Amino acid sequence: MADRAGHQTGRLTLRLILTALVLALACAADAASVTVRVRTPAGTTVEDAAVVLDPASGVPPKSRRSATIEQRGRDFVPYLSIVQKGTAIDFPNRDPFKHHVYSFSPAKVFEIKLYAGKPANPVVFDQTGVVALGCNIHDWMEAYVLVVDTPWFAKTGADGVVRIDRVPAGAYRLRLWHPRQKAAVADIGIELRGATRHLDLVLDVAPRIIVAKPPLDAGGY
Amino acid sequence: MILFRTLERRIAVVFVGLLVVVMLLMLLIVARSGEAIIATESERQLSAGARNVGNLIDRDRRQLELAASVLSGDFSFREAIATQDRATVLSVLRNHGSRIGARVMMVLSLRGEVIVDTQRPGKPPRPFPFGDLLRAAENNGRSGDVALMEDGLLYEIVVVPILAPMRTAWVVMGFPVEDAWASEFARGSGLDVSVVATGGIRASSLSPTLRGALERQQSTALSEQPRQLTLEGRNYHAVALPFGPQARVLLLHSLEHSEAVFRELEHALEIVAGAGIALFVIGSFGLARRIAGPVNALARAAQRIEAGDYSQAVAVTAPDEIGQLAAGFENMRSGIASREHKIMRLAYEDTLTGLPNRTRLTEHLAGLDPEAAAMVAVLDLDRFAPINDALGHPVGDRVLQQVGTRLADLMPPRGKLARLWGDEFAFVIEDADELSARDFAAQLLAALREPIELDGQKLDVSGSLGIAFRPGDGRDMDALLRRAELAMYSAKRRQCGYALAGEVGDGPPPEQLSMIGEMRQALDRREFVLYYQPKLAFASNRIVGAEALLRWQHPERGLVPPGLFIPFAEQTGFIREITPWLLGEVAAQATAWRERGISVVLSANLSARDLLNPKLVTLMRELLAAHELPPAALCLEITESALMEDPTLALSHLAELAAIGLKLSIDDYGAGQASLSYVKSLPVHELKIDQSFIGSLATSPKDAAIVRSTITLGHALGLTVVAEGIEGEADLHWLAAAGCDIGQGYFIARPMAAAAFADWLSVREGVPAV
Repeated sequence: MADRAGHQTGRLTLRLILTALVLALACAADAASVTVRVRTPAGTTVEDAAVVLDPASGVPPKSRRSATIEQRGRDFVPYLSIVQKGTAIDFPNRDPFKHHVYSFSPAKVFEIKLYAGKPANPVVFDQTGVVALGCNIHDWMEAYVLVVDTPWFAKTGADGVVRIDRVPAGAYRLRLWHPRQKAAVADIGIELRGATRHLDLVLDVAPRIIVAKPPLDAGGY
Repeated sequence: MILFRTLERRIAVVFVGLLVVVMLLMLLIVARSGEAIIATESERQLSAGARNVGNLIDRDRRQLELAASVLSGDFSFREAIATQDRATVLSVLRNHGSRIGARVMMVLSLRGEVIVDTQRPGKPPRPFPFGDLLRAAENNGRSGDVALMEDGLLYEIVVVPILAPMRTAWVVMGFPVEDAWASEFARGSGLDVSVVATGGIRASSLSPTLRGALERQQSTALSEQPRQLTLEGRNYHAVALPFGPQARVLLLHSLEHSEAVFRELEHALEIVAGAGIALFVIGSFGLARRIAGPVNALARAAQRIEAGDYSQAVAVTAPDEIGQLAAGFENMRSGIASREHKIMRLAYEDTLTGLPNRTRLTEHLAGLDPEAAAMVAVLDLDRFAPINDALGHPVGDRVLQQVGTRLADLMPPRGKLARLWGDEFAFVIEDADELSARDFAAQLLAALREPIELDGQKLDVSGSLGIAFRPGDGRDMDALLRRAELAMYSAKRRQCGYALAGEVGDGPPPEQLSMIGEMRQALDRREFVLYYQPKLAFASNRIVGAEALLRWQHPERGLVPPGLFIPFAEQTGFIREITPWLLGEVAAQATAWRERGISVVLSANLSARDLLNPKLVTLMRELLAAHELPPAALCLEITESALMEDPTLALSHLAELAAIGLKLSIDDYGAGQASLSYVKSLPVHELKIDQSFIGSLATSPKDAAIVRSTITLGHALGLTVVAEGIEGEADLHWLAAAGCDIGQGYFIARPMAAAAFADWLSVREGVPAV
């Protein structure tokens, strides 16, 4: 599953690179990179921490993109998706039984009633905010979609490190967010000038409670 | 203690008492261990029940939480909550709450504000009052507890999150803790369940009465350590379990059932103990009676013996120790009976004749009505002493026995005969008057005159009878006997058979009675002295003898004249005590003088009683032997009247005295009725002419003639003639001329004390006779 997640991330990264190439052609010079290492106060690495760079001024460019959140092995994959406002997300069901995906989050309330395979229409997330996803028939299934209004974002890997490349020079507000963060942290204002900028950030995150799934062959599902 | 007064009770009480003690101890132990068992068992049941209730409550809460969680997971519920439509949310809450029986339903924001409350719809948001519950839910995903809510009721409160899928809100559900709740747990645990919070019972499975009682005792009951309490007279074990921060669950276990079991056991034991004690009482009393019965019989026998009843034999019932004791008792009883019989006989019976004795007769008279007329008679045999002396005592005894038998045959039915002593008998006849007494006396004397046959020999017996009457002659036996005796003497003197006391006078007056005592004292104190009056032989003009005369030197009255006490002593018989002394004195004096060369014949006077005393002869023999005196040294003077009292006996005694060799003299001759023919038959040596004749010699020619002829007659009979009472010289010369042998009188010498006599004699012997 980690490989697939990596593959997924890889494709996203590819898109970002293409976007960066376009931008690099447009505004010749200096693009910067940001790396952030996120740790808990205890020093352990934090995976799935979203790092979002909101430009301090100006309208960030829009990239029309789509995303996919699979239901596989009675889990949402990926756990955290960061998308730019307006992105349509597909919820393909890879399991041999139906799922019932819903969200009561104000940023996007929707419900895909019991379905198998790929739903007819993807769900467009057109409002920024956090959307918590659940499955009505598998209580433990959860996934988060962070809807942002910027193309510069990434989430930490298992090493707790995130890298955002080809960020045009300028002033940004760096936002750090995690679905299980215990408290919100304030945005950090940073100036990017061509070089790679590295930050070490601390975020207190509750451990993910892995609810044991009922065995598949027990029947009743 | 009355309880222990009898052996029977003591045995029974000890046995029964011991059993009662043992039974009581047993009951006590059973009661004690019963209590302990009940307490232990009850505590065990209580703690088991308490665990059970604790588990039930936990399970109940988990079920509530689960139910709440299921409810909160309901999609439509979550959807409704998510819409934030308060009206919808309220109705959803009410609907879903009713599904699981929650009375209170609330929705809390994640910040802990009550957003919707089914009990207080339309109120603005407010903080959730149970922060702890919320924090516990935040930590554990959900929480539950018991708490009092704003409505004042106690609730099981459950807080569960609404997940979508992340936590978006909290749902609070409250389930009221009411009697139904308590009853459910009571059913499940077998205990009575009550819930106490802030000083009141909130829910209880108890009846209202018991609930009220518990309400009053809750302070004692609310302990987490089991303890006992009593509600409405029933015993319970109680324990309290914590139930949320404000409440406690109070569990009661009734001891009634366990107690009932033990009560039944105790009842059974009490019945057994009661029956056992009853059997024991019967058994021990039976046993005690078997032991004590014979002992009691012995005690009664002992009481009978103590009371003097020896007639009933002591029954020997068993061969055991008590039987042996009874046998011993019986031997003792028969021994005492025979001894007492013997003692009675000795005390009340005359051994010789088998007749009652004087004591018995006295008691018999005392037992009669003191006012009733009765006669008391004394019979004395005449001439018994010569029979005794001549034929020996065995014959005398047989005579007495026969006389006794004869008298006894004559006794009327209401008469009682006794032998007083010697030959003296007495009898009492009730209701006898003078006439019948005379008849009976005559009859008795006639019967007595029938000769007694002894070994083919016939003996003539006669007696003299004196009769006294009660109450005329006295009341008590002593007085009556004395009067009868005096009468008897009188009859004997007069030889008239019988005499009545009324005819012979009263006997000595009281002052004379006191004189007897004084005379007895005089004898003891040696107040009696002997004076000696010389006897002058006319022919030789020498003193040949002296008459011993009794004088009483009374310490107060001086010299008592003999005429004042000697007749009295003779009359009362006291002379019998004086004479032996007097004879002893005379014999001693004669011996003393003889040793000094004074050889005079000493004369002593004998009374009738002395002469008739069968011991006189023996006494004289002993005196002569003791003083080694020749018999002729003593002379016994006997008055004519003394001889006439019992001439035959007197003669017999005189014969014996004469045979010894003693000189005998007839005193006061001429004053009585003694005939010369009688005097002739007497073995006497001397005749003393009564002094009344001598005193009137000069004046009465008749008396002088009598004296002269008496002297002649005396000489003719071979007797020495003595004249006493010579008071003048003329008389002395006349008598000497008349041939009288011996003279005695004042003119010759007055009676003198022994020493004076000796002096006088030594002077006179040197002087030539007249």
